Amino acid sequence: MALVLVRTTIIFVTLLLVMRLMGKSQIGEMQPFEFVITLLIAELACIPMADSSIPILYGIVSIVTIFILHQTVWLLDLWFRPVKDVVCGKPSLVITKDGIDVYQLKKNNLNVSDLIESMRSAGYFNLDDVYYGLYEANGSFSALEKPEKSSYSLALTLVDLGKPDRKNIAACGFDGESFNEFLKTQGTKMKDVVAMTVNGEGRVYFQSRGRKYKILNIEVPGNW
Amino acid sequence: MVKSIIYTLAAVALCIGFFIFSEWYVEKQFSEFSQALDSLYMKIEDKDANREDATAVRTMWNDRKAKLQIFLPHNDISYVDYWLSEACGLLYSDNFELALGKIEVLKEVVKNMPSAYGLRLENIF
Repeated sequence: MALVLVRTTIIFVTLLLVMRLMGKSQIGEMQPFEFVITLLIAELACIPMADSSIPILYGIVSIVTIFILHQTVWLLDLWFRPVKDVVCGKPSLVITKDGIDVYQLKKNNLNVSDLIESMRSAGYFNLDDVYYGLYEANGSFSALEKPEKSSYSLALTLVDLGKPDRKNIAACGFDGESFNEFLKTQGTKMKDVVAMTVNGEGRVYFQSRGRKYKILNIEVPGNW
Repeated sequence: MVKSIIYTLAAVALCIGFFIFSEWYVEKQFSEFSQALDSLYMKIEDKDANREDATAVRTMWNDRKAKLQIFLPHNDISYVDYWLSEACGLLYSDNFELALGKIEVLKEVVKNMPSAYGLRLENIF
């Protein structure tokens, strides 16, 4: 039976490590270790239930082991700050006053589209609606909003970490050549663009690698 | 907080106690059964074993089996059942030489089974 405890502990630690490496994109509203426990408990309870050849004690011992591990992690969290950082991770500041922090985004296996999606879920429809945006350790998005919203129109993503969205580029009235021309006037290349969004009023959020974001205005066909 | 720590320590103590007991209990059951198999083996070697000896070992195993199923996977237990039934069948028909081979296998299975569930590096991985 001690074997079950050791094996459960190894699987727990491995899963926790993998979850931490996967970044905040894989967890939602839970601490990584809570997420791992949720994953394991269901499976541990099911196996002896479904397979009558496995003694039910195996399931009970595994679940009690999970309880002990949960309590241990929780107590370590409370008593030792560095352990909390290792086990639960730290908040990641992805939007600063200079714009999007690409390093932090990539560290958490996220891209600009994921960030925009999280912002929309939090009620912000433009990248410059907030001073600061961060992913908490549990994967939820928090922001320090600006007192005035920049606009009340939905923004389309034209470029996400150097990758163009041809459909949205066309929707904003650009063709391939005019878009390249636009980038040239901004003194950058496609691969160096961190993010470019345009809203229905022609308000452009433009950020290239290593530079502060800027707000531009262009003519867009129609108003969405 | 204090309550949580107490619960955790209680769970750890309970687990350790249970692990020690289960290891000891499984080891003891198999060791006793192994002794019975040894004496049956010697009787077969002397061509002295009879139906009653085989039935006695079988009854002994059946008593232990019910309790061991609490601690060990039932498929592994049925492995012992299989070899014991084969050996008993051969003894019932006085086929001592073949029965000897089956008991030999059974002795090996019974010897190795408790260690397959012990806390050893090879079992962990």
